[in-house]
Amino acid sequence: MGQLSEPEDGDTSMTSGTAKREFESTQGMSDACREGLRNLLIACADTKLLLGYHYGEWTFGPPELEAAIACCSLSQSELGHVRLLHAVLRNQFGDETEALVEQRLGSAFANISYLDEEIADWAGFVAANYVVDLAVTRLLHAMRDSTFAPLRVNVEKMLDEERYHVHHGQGWFRTLCGKNAECRAAAQRSLHEALQAVAQWFGPAGDPHDEALVAAGVKAKSNPEIFEDLVGDVTETAASLGVELTVEPAAFEGWDPATRRRDASGPNEEILQHLRGSKNAIFKLN
Amino acid sequence: MARTEVYEVFARKAHDEELKHVGSVNATDDELAKAYAWTLYDEENWIEMCVVPRKAVIPITHQGRLPLWGN
Repeated sequence: MGQLSEPEDGDTSMTSGTAKREFESTQGMSDACREGLRNLLIACADTKLLLGYHYGEWTFGPPELEAAIACCSLSQSELGHVRLLHAVLRNQFGDETEALVEQRLGSAFANISYLDEEIADWAGFVAANYVVDLAVTRLLHAMRDSTFAPLRVNVEKMLDEERYHVHHGQGWFRTLCGKNAECRAAAQRSLHEALQAVAQWFGPAGDPHDEALVAAGVKAKSNPEIFEDLVGDVTETAASLGVELTVEPAAFEGWDPATRRRDASGPNEEILQHLRGSKNAIFKLN
Repeated sequence: MARTEVYEVFARKAHDEELKHVGSVNATDDELAKAYAWTLYDEENWIEMCVVPRKAVIPITHQGRLPLWGN
């Protein structure tokens, strides 16, 4: 599985070349770096929270019992990763989990927009599992040797678990492409839609926050570079199955680095109510 | 069209333990078999887990029978 392989010789990661300053906290970071890091952590946590929700929902309804069990397991690990990321946000930025999940408007969420609505069918789910999940994983992979220690110590655990998410998403994409023309077309259509949403989430080249993170060694690669790698992986896999995937250049006019979108959209209200546990608010312990 | 195969799952918890048969999964290919095995049999902290297509297992005894000369 090439996506999560060890860095090769000549990799332009921060492990080679000039040693960069290690950050035990956000103290000493530039304002752009600090703000960019907080935005990025929230974007990853929001996407994982929504992935956890959709994986949980698809515990019932997949075409195979094994897939149902896998969805349940994937949901658990995504929610576990949300806890890890929220702990970093709380300890380093003072962001309380309750404020992040329960007191934000949907339009303030920074998840990959593909997850905003209920996923209509299994091909749509497979696209989320394969490329939306892999987008966040590739981003985390670019931070496995991060100079920001509080995140680095958590990344390896997350990557370890994410291996099986990729196996599941990619394995099902292969299965659907090999089943029949209808399944193949549905898989291709959903993957294209998911990739367009991922392109928007990664953002434009030259984003000052992203450049500050790379310069400080918090990330090894810029977001457009990570996206390009992701597209390379996915199109290669698709091509090996005889499926042609195209990705149109995303428009970034008016792109907001806090929500990673150009408009005020967000997860729908019903999904947000589930995430917040609104219906059970009276049973909360605090 | 992809066909579902049975894969046997083996795992161990420590390096000085032998691999033990822990169960089986149904999957259309090796990659899904790995994902299913890992997510279905995740109750232990395995240090090694592998899957083997059941069709790759070569039986020595007849099914459900001891060899003629006993065990």
